[in-house]
Amino acid sequence: MGSNKEQLLRDIGIVDFVLTELTLYLDTHPFDCHAMEYFNHYNRIKHQMEKEFSMKYFPLNTRMAESSKEWRWGMAPLPWEGECG
Amino acid sequence: MWSYEKRLQFPVNIKEPNAKLAQVIISQFGGPDGEMAASMRYLSQRYSMPYREVAGLLTDIGVSVSKLHILDLSRCSGSFGFRSFKIFQ
Repeated sequence: MGSNKEQLLRDIGIVDFVLTELTLYLDTHPFDCHAMEYFNHYNRIKHQMEKEFSMKYFPLNTRMAESSKEWRWGMAPLPWEGECG
Repeated sequence: MWSYEKRLQFPVNIKEPNAKLAQVIISQFGGPDGEMAASMRYLSQRYSMPYREVAGLLTDIGVSVSKLHILDLSRCSGSFGFRSFKIFQ
């Protein structure tokens, strides 16, 4: 269970790395359709993984912080507390 | 303008705390020639960048650099330095 959480965070990190670098490339090559397809593909995957993680564990960003009983965003661990990867 | 994610870019697992090393790393992050200062330079120089797409690039790089809470610092600053060097050539 715990390892699944870590694994998911790790996978998100990997996909996010791809997206960060692709963003910088696309900034200076805004008409490269091939790169855009690549971006869209990984962007969709990242979104899906973030949603899964946020539902199972804690919201990774405020857009996924929908809460009813308690404010899940505020209750979530902070990145330097050792539970965010 | 900013939003952030509650996760690290790369998993960190400190097995042996090392205060001396931490001192070096924190100065690479927040010191006079650190990543924080570099990110602020990217984010202020973008306003006078004559090429629109490069102004956008400087914004994205500035954000990435400011996100480097954990890092292989020399490698990161090296590659970012190289990237900006290439742009301005």
